[in-house]
Amino acid sequence: MEHIRTPKVENARLLDRSSGQRKASTGTLYLSATHTIFVENNPETRKETWVLHSMVSSVERPPTIPAGSQLILHCKDFRVFQILIPHERDCLDIHTSLVRLSRPEKYSELYCLSFNPNVNKEEREESWNFLDLMGDYKRMGVPNNLWVATAANSEYRVCDTYPSELFVPKSATPAVIVGSSRFRSRGRFPVLSYFHQDTLAAVCRCSQPLSGFSGRCQEDEMMLLAIMKSNPGSDYIYVVDTRPKLNAMANRAAGKGYENEDHYTNIKLQFIGVENIHVMRNSQQKIIDVGEMRSPSMTDFLWGLENSGWLKHIKAILDAGVFIARAVADEGISVLVHCSDGWDRTAQACSVASILLDPFYRTIKGFMVLIEKDWVSFGHKFSHRYGHLDGDPKEVSPVIDQFLECVWQLSEQLPCAFEFNERFLITIHTHVYSCQYGTFLGNCQKESRDMRFRERSHSVWPQLWKDRAEYTNPLYKADLSQSQGVLRPNTTPYCFKMWKGLYNHMEKLTPPRQSPADFLCAVREESQQLEKELTNHQERIAALTGKPITWEKIKVPRRRMISHLRQRHCGPDPPSTYTNPFASPASVNGDALSSEPVTQKAQTKDATLTLSLGLYSHPKSHNPDDFSTCSDLESGVADLSSRSSSSGENGKDPYIDEAAFTTA
Amino acid sequence: MPVSTGSCVLSDMVHSGAENEKCSACGSSPPWAMTSPVSVYSNSNTLDTHIPSASRESLKMELLAEVSLLPGEERIIDKDIIYICPFSGAVKGKVLITNYRLYFKSSEADVAVMLDVPLGAISRVEKMGGASSRGENSYGLDIMCKDMRNLRFALKQEGHSRRDIFEILFRYAFPLSHGLPLFAYVTQEKYEENGWNIYKPIEEFRRQGLPNNKWRITFINKNYELCDTYPTMLAVPFKSKEEDLRRVAAFRSRGRIPVLSWIHRENQAVIVRCSQPLVGMSGKRNKDDERYLDLIREANDTAKLTIYDARPNVNAVANKATGGGYEGDEYQNAELIFLDIQNIHVMRESLKKLKDIVYPNVEESHWLSSLESTHWLEHVKLVLSGAIQVADKVSSGNSVVVHCSDGWDRTAQLTSLAMLMLDSHYRTLRGFQVLIEKEWISFGHKFASRIGHGDKNHADQDRSPIFVQFIDCVWQMTKQFPTAFEFNERLLLTILDHLYSCRFGTFLYNCESARDQHEVRSKTVSLWSLVNSKMEIYLNPFYTPESGRVLYPVASMRHLELWVTYYIRWNPRIRQQQQSPVEQRYKELLALRDEYLKKLEELQLSDSSPSSRLANNPTPNTSSPTTSTPSQQYTHLQTPL
Repeated sequence: MEHIRTPKVENARLLDRSSGQRKASTGTLYLSATHTIFVENNPETRKETWVLHSMVSSVERPPTIPAGSQLILHCKDFRVFQILIPHERDCLDIHTSLVRLSRPEKYSELYCLSFNPNVNKEEREESWNFLDLMGDYKRMGVPNNLWVATAANSEYRVCDTYPSELFVPKSATPAVIVGSSRFRSRGRFPVLSYFHQDTLAAVCRCSQPLSGFSGRCQEDEMMLLAIMKSNPGSDYIYVVDTRPKLNAMANRAAGKGYENEDHYTNIKLQFIGVENIHVMRNSQQKIIDVGEMRSPSMTDFLWGLENSGWLKHIKAILDAGVFIARAVADEGISVLVHCSDGWDRTAQACSVASILLDPFYRTIKGFMVLIEKDWVSFGHKFSHRYGHLDGDPKEVSPVIDQFLECVWQLSEQLPCAFEFNERFLITIHTHVYSCQYGTFLGNCQKESRDMRFRERSHSVWPQLWKDRAEYTNPLYKADLSQSQGVLRPNTTPYCFKMWKGLYNHMEKLTPPRQSPADFLCAVREESQQLEKELTNHQERIAALTGKPITWEKIKVPRRRMISHLRQRHCGPDPPSTYTNPFASPASVNGDALSSEPVTQKAQTKDATLTLSLGLYSHPKSHNPDDFSTCSDLESGVADLSSRSSSSGENGKDPYIDEAAFTTA
Repeated sequence: MPVSTGSCVLSDMVHSGAENEKCSACGSSPPWAMTSPVSVYSNSNTLDTHIPSASRESLKMELLAEVSLLPGEERIIDKDIIYICPFSGAVKGKVLITNYRLYFKSSEADVAVMLDVPLGAISRVEKMGGASSRGENSYGLDIMCKDMRNLRFALKQEGHSRRDIFEILFRYAFPLSHGLPLFAYVTQEKYEENGWNIYKPIEEFRRQGLPNNKWRITFINKNYELCDTYPTMLAVPFKSKEEDLRRVAAFRSRGRIPVLSWIHRENQAVIVRCSQPLVGMSGKRNKDDERYLDLIREANDTAKLTIYDARPNVNAVANKATGGGYEGDEYQNAELIFLDIQNIHVMRESLKKLKDIVYPNVEESHWLSSLESTHWLEHVKLVLSGAIQVADKVSSGNSVVVHCSDGWDRTAQLTSLAMLMLDSHYRTLRGFQVLIEKEWISFGHKFASRIGHGDKNHADQDRSPIFVQFIDCVWQMTKQFPTAFEFNERLLLTILDHLYSCRFGTFLYNCESARDQHEVRSKTVSLWSLVNSKMEIYLNPFYTPESGRVLYPVASMRHLELWVTYYIRWNPRIRQQQQSPVEQRYKELLALRDEYLKKLEELQLSDSSPSSRLANNPTPNTSSPTTSTPSQQYTHLQTPL
């Protein structure tokens, strides 16, 4: 609170540039410890806009204009807000506060760590046990007679950025491990990332060797040999260096570099050419600019897109994954992946390959496990890359953005292959930046342990899991051929599209589009409801025909209605977590604050569906005898009607259907 | 690999879409339909090396035995030949040429390539290599097609095999240049429904509420005397007299006077179409024309009439030199807006460039800038945004006049797209047919000149893909409003396939008078006979009728896409989905739901005591789902959305 000088400004004006809003709305601006909140004056809507401080990437203060002083908030999820403040002094205050608040200097300033860590202690502890990484290795069939767990890195003795639990080839002795780690940048020696049971081939990861121009290391060579031996029937492995060859060669001058094929007799070296974090940072800025262009011409848009190079980079990462997946699945050859330090491009390549190889990672739970494993546990530097704390801007880079986008591009091409939808990816993207949960805090497992994040914050995954109904792709069916086996995407350039859902908020709302996905959800839900009804009937028949029956058995779990009401973009604001981040402004509006934004968003965003489905249940809930179904159906009515609120697709629509509904 | 009957057009890279109804007739899984995309793919790409054994079986049989010919189709010649496939290399096989199609099937067991091309799709046949040609497969034929692909065949140099094939192809691909009839006049196909009945001008006028006290129907053109490229029945302002029309015709290019295309039921605003006024260099005026336009404005009592000239301003000015021009200030109460849409030559070159970057190989290194350099999407954008302006004007109660130079290319695009946005009837399967029949066919879009049916003159400057561009715009709209159209992408592909095939009379000739003269309606079959006899495969399961809703697509670059499944469909790397997975899943779910409903109903019948209570309590406004029949359920689902 010490940084807030002016907590409230009246008669401020807000323009949500990212949502294509044309006219500013007048209202009151509040500054809390965690959020910038704007409440519209219009008594009918009183629309609220919440912007989490940690989501603000920069605050601009353009020259004052006659109407007032301006502030422009650029967010890490690419939204842009323009605020007009009547008095320059207020504006200055707000600006200073926001600059400071959006750049915390130490972890303890992050609000997920500063609020009553002992509230919901059990829940919190449980939240961290939601995912079981060892369980995932077990699922892959590891340990086995080829790959074993090693205690070498317990207490992070060998490599402080690796997890403590690692899997290595059975024939790799502790001496080989330690020797190899001394020859690898930051001690990140080759370890198992994914084991493909069908072919016994493995995906391993490490950092670049410290070979310089001629250096070699016997233990490291033995390590690679051990990896090969752990794949019976193969007589070489691929070493995939995800860097452009030139970069890899340049690294030799610094005593690093890549494997010399003369020294390692059993390897085939392959460069993929994914650019480094600095190139990616600049490229993303360009595509953000393309997304923010106002009514670009065809030339501006296509050239902007091409010149950003962004889609080319996405393709390169996907190509890396495709190469690895083919080697493992089609050739049955193990692959060792590295870049420079093995925590950016390596994480991308390994996780994309895993997604392609293993249907489990294409489920909601599996995707969480994959990120927890390949990214969090293997020391992807989240806090540096996503600017959680005020630090070196050169360390910031959209590495996981690119991974998420690869998955999105895949899901566009193979719409039935993933259990989750675009919203899930965007929500994860948001939380990587938001610092609302402890999951992505810190730069490696050791740091996370040292900072006691687990004791001071919650994990994001159980929350996402709780909301999974929102994140489910209605097209997904586990038994569909496309959902199974290895994915083989087409990676020709025309297959890559700009991710409008992430980069182009501008045109998202015009026109509100009907989506077949919504139709699918509606029918699916209806079917589920009918199925339950059917079960109920059958149970009742059983009861009537004399067989005893316990009512508990037919009790249908209460349907979650909140999920549909919650806003669609799933940003971190307004907060929907168990921690209560409200500071002073929350108490100003009292209860209205907590309930209103939710329903309003539902009305404005969930425009499309559907009336009759909702009507279905009415007669049944009137039936007083039908206790067993009552709760279920009621909730069914509630969630359906919430979605039906507005069928008006555009201004010209006569709202016939809506009228029909209200009479009903 | 499941093959639905819907797969043929979409899924088969080598199979002509014109054949789709045939393969559904010949059973659920014609072997080629299963194998060709897969195995071709395996050649260019290591993805799938699986070849169903069924295809090997069939290969042992006579290669060409499985071709089922259309009634009236005759075999002309068959020969051993090598198809130089751009995706899987040289393929040995047999070619069959009939009076309708070129059919090729590989004889190699491991490459199941199949081609089935209507001869109408061929724009040009050339000999490749000469007697002195050396090198493998350098002697043969090059065939350029109108549907975004080229074919190359190699032949043995011995004998006269090439000469025979060349001459036969040349003759039957361009029958009109050889005094032969188009295949549409030869075919003996019969369909349950007669597609020629789909469009009855008088019924369509009546549907729009015409005639009324402001607009009348005139038969002044019944012998095509007023305008030989217009239909016989025209809707004109009630107050205009026949002699006025004649005087206006004298002042409009080719006599294409302003006539009504569409009227808004509520606000009575109209879309009127015509050709450019004959202003000329001297800036001639015509009082009758001026008064006539004012009558149009008066008909719904608005202050201003908006004239949309589809051309860029400069082109309109340049047209003055050849006697044309545009409406000047002398037209009081009218405003003129140029829509900047380029002419047929620009469009032709643009699509040609697009073909260059997608066939046979899709440009890789600079895909986006190459796409940009074709300007195709930009043209699509301009056409769409022009139509949006027209639609917006009309729905806000102002009448509009649309013209370009002759009023049969850009004008047809604009009026038909605007009508599609304004009138949900045209978004139904049958309504869309009416729209094409009315705005394109009856109003004299010069299909014969633009497509060059049966004509060998491939370099004809009159050819242009204006209609293709229109269908592209429609596709863009279906993408943006996936539930607003009753028909699916397959209909659009079928229409484009038969735009060239010459199997149906629908797109033949330039105007109604020529069609009458050649007795198209009595001697040929309509494409709509085919479509309407098998409607279900052209239906969009997500369709939700919403009458009165105006669609405003976003004509922004970020929302327009290249129509990959049309322009790049010959490329086997385009993953051909048998059916849109979304559609498929939806249908499955609908089926599942119906099944549950049925079961519930059965239960209620048998389980009378508890369900009778259920059945007896429907409240008036809420129809109970458990008591209504599945068919009622179906309509239920559709109404509210």
